[in-house]
Amino acid sequence: MQISRVVCDLVTTKRVFALAAKSLRVVEDHKGNLDVVVDPVGAKPGDYVITIGYSAARTAAGNPNITTDLTIGGIIDHWNEEMWHA
Amino acid sequence: MKICQVEGTLVATARIPGLLNRRLLIVKERGSSGKQVAVDPVGCKPGDWVIAVGSSAARDAAGSKDYPSDLTIVGIIDYWDDPVGRAGAMAHAD
Repeated sequence: MQISRVVCDLVTTKRVFALAAKSLRVVEDHKGNLDVVVDPVGAKPGDYVITIGYSAARTAAGNPNITTDLTIGGIIDHWNEEMWHA
Repeated sequence: MKICQVEGTLVATARIPGLLNRRLLIVKERGSSGKQVAVDPVGCKPGDWVIAVGSSAARDAAGSKDYPSDLTIVGIIDYWDDPVGRAGAMAHAD
């Protein structure tokens, strides 16, 4: 799992059926690389989150049939910019 | 499998139900500066050198096939003879 920060919401009305109605967020890693994740938790922009990748992302999305390769697993209680870059 | 050193625990109260109440640890892979988060079914302390499995083996290693983990600790290294690693292992022994 990786530590990421939520940047913003992402809305895609026209999407593949297998993505269902899952909400999407844009997250960045400590280098500023952007990624799109499925968010089953309800994270807000600025929250530091754990992102789950590979096939575990599909299970984490609540249903192994969801086509995602990155899913938020939880919101980190205490984290900040310095700990992120240390 | 990857060789990692444990940095500390990570608290995430708002988490997906599938993660249960398993311990999450911040680990640093040997030879890289990036932090990663791993599930800890073993019980490691900060400073421990551990081996961790990734991808779908991580799900099995965490206890069940539907556990949503992509990095799981599978063992604590007793002795690690590596010039880079020795400093960490010695510091832990003290």
